[in-house]
Amino acid sequence: MIELSKVKKVYNLGKTQVDALKDVSLKIDKGEYVAIVGPSGSGKSTLMNIIGLLDKPTSGSYKLNGTEVSTLSDDQLAYLRNRQIGFVFQSFNLLSKLNALANVELPMLYAKIPSKERRQRALRALEIVGLSERIHHKPNELSGGQQQRVAIARAIVMNPSFLLADEPTGNLDTASSVEIMKIFYQLNESGTTIVMVTHEQDIANHAKRIVRLRDGNIIQDTLVPNRITY
Amino acid sequence: MYIWEAVKVAIDSILSNKLRAFLTMLGIIIGIASVITIVSLGAGGQKAILGEFEKIGVNVFSIKTRNDVEIRDSDRLTIRDVEMIRKRLSSVKYAAPIAEKMGLAKTDKVTKRALFIATDFDYGNVSNLKVIYGRFLNEKDILLGRNVILIDKESAKELFGYEDCVGKSIKIGSYSSFDTAKIIGVIDSGNLKSLGGSIADQIPVIAAIPITYAQKIFPDVNISQIYVMTYNQNQLDETSSQAVRLIESLHHNKDKYKTENLISFLEEFNRILGIFTAVIGAIAGISLLVGGIGIMNIMLVSVTERTREIGIRKAIGARQKDILTQFLIEAVTISLIGGAIGVFLGYILANIVGPFIDITPVFSINTILIAFLFSTAVGIFFGIYPAQKAAKLDPIVALRYE
Ligand SMILES: Nc1ncnc2c1ncn2[C@@H]1O[C@H](COP(=O)(O)OP(=O)(O)OP(=O)(O)O)[C@@H](O)[C@H]1O
Ligand SMILES: [Mg+2]
Repeated sequence: MIELSKVKKVYNLGKTQVDALKDVSLKIDKGEYVAIVGPSGSGKSTLMNIIGLLDKPTSGSYKLNGTEVSTLSDDQLAYLRNRQIGFVFQSFNLLSKLNALANVELPMLYAKIPSKERRQRALRALEIVGLSERIHHKPNELSGGQQQRVAIARAIVMNPSFLLADEPTGNLDTASSVEIMKIFYQLNESGTTIVMVTHEQDIANHAKRIVRLRDGNIIQDTLVPNRITY
Repeated sequence: MYIWEAVKVAIDSILSNKLRAFLTMLGIIIGIASVITIVSLGAGGQKAILGEFEKIGVNVFSIKTRNDVEIRDSDRLTIRDVEMIRKRLSSVKYAAPIAEKMGLAKTDKVTKRALFIATDFDYGNVSNLKVIYGRFLNEKDILLGRNVILIDKESAKELFGYEDCVGKSIKIGSYSSFDTAKIIGVIDSGNLKSLGGSIADQIPVIAAIPITYAQKIFPDVNISQIYVMTYNQNQLDETSSQAVRLIESLHHNKDKYKTENLISFLEEFNRILGIFTAVIGAIAGISLLVGGIGIMNIMLVSVTERTREIGIRKAIGARQKDILTQFLIEAVTISLIGGAIGVFLGYILANIVGPFIDITPVFSINTILIAFLFSTAVGIFFGIYPAQKAAKLDPIVALRYE
């Protein structure tokens, strides 16, 4: 469970300050599928990075599964990022020197999972995202949609409770976007909590709930009446 | 992260930048290569000299007057001292006086400079000297101060045209007065030359004559030292001090004499070798330092270049320790490969240089292990700062890095 209350994030740019998040309180339960939308610069990525334990709020409280994360050490945060959270980025963020399989194995390396099991689980994750064929290709030998599927496989290979995706379809064409949304739907159906940032209404309509940001505040929080399912 | 995975990442990263990695390694390569070359040649030289010493025998010591105190005529070593050492000290097997005198040796046709070693019958035993024709000095020669002489075979050839000149006469002396001596033997110059010391190489004739004869023809001749051989090597120290005490009591003086043995020569040699090694070590140390700084520099560049990669790794769960290990292993891998190339190069270099200075290099596992240990230490020492910098990167800052 994700619980943010009165979260504020201020960026200090020398003389000026940017209030990226002003006063955000948000609760996301297990099994939810939330789309965060809003205009550019409204604080969506900032919020996602805080939820994904990559960044820390300036003030306010963030509880992940009941634990106040501001009390955790860097290593404990790394552990949670490894076990509890899978992150998917708009720009894929794969390691260019490693092939698809090795990229997917990477989180398990940090979890000290033996190599045989790593390989099995990576293959299964790649199968889930429908990419069993191209496992020995390097990222630059894959299309954008394929790269994003590798990134999703990497995000889910540790069976995280939360899948966080910041504009996962932002760099993809419609067909690839649909493929990604199908994968997300299946993952959510099988119990993974999904939080995704998007600025496309079609993509947001895949979620069960839409949270709208503007200027660092939540201005709307609604359920999706006719969500797209597969 | 598993070490092996980190090593694979490190090797990948080195291979993708071969030239840069090689240039980085250069300092280490030069440092390690010079250490290996010098140490192996030093060990080879040591072994050769030790072998040389063992041929002569290590249970020999010499007694000399000290050169850091005032020596009066009554302090000088005498033939009687030698006789008393032989008679009184039960652990003494042989003892021989040595007086060295520069002079001339001439035949009808040829005149040559000569080093006369004035000694007695025991000299042949303490020095392992080889007589190839004729005989060495005997007790009667000494007792009567006979005008007999042994010369080295090279000089025999130069003076007479052939080696076996036993029975021939030769004129010896200093610049004004000469005396005629009878050649009773020809010696192998190798041994005498090695004992003759530093001047021996430049002296054409090396001649042994009875000390008593020398005293007749060279009025100013002095016994510079007494060679003493004990029965056993472990009697050396005890006998040395006994001999000194004996001579002191004969001369009624104190603290005028010193003793030296081949073991102390060896120690002296080792001391010089040690200085030599230290100088080379310092040079090697400087190049290792330069190499280390090179590694640090390149690792800092690498950390900057791969900031995004570090961000990604952290985002998926790498701890500080994992990143630290990864970059440290990369630094150590570079320095170890440099060290390995250095060892190889040092091996080749020592084998090339060795023949020129007449030394067969000796390579020990220890030297090579120490070389690798040093490489690793350099890698760790200079890699730790960049690795720490990488490990401490903030994940979100690293991910945003362009
Ligand atoms: N590292 C940073 N330093 C300074 N200001 C920042 C930083 N990151 C974000 N901001 C500012 O914070 C505000 C929120 O940024 P954020 O990236 O969260 O927006 P966003 O909703 O994700 O926008 P977009 O849809 O363009 O991705 C913006 O005004 C942005 O300029
Ligand atoms: Mg954004």
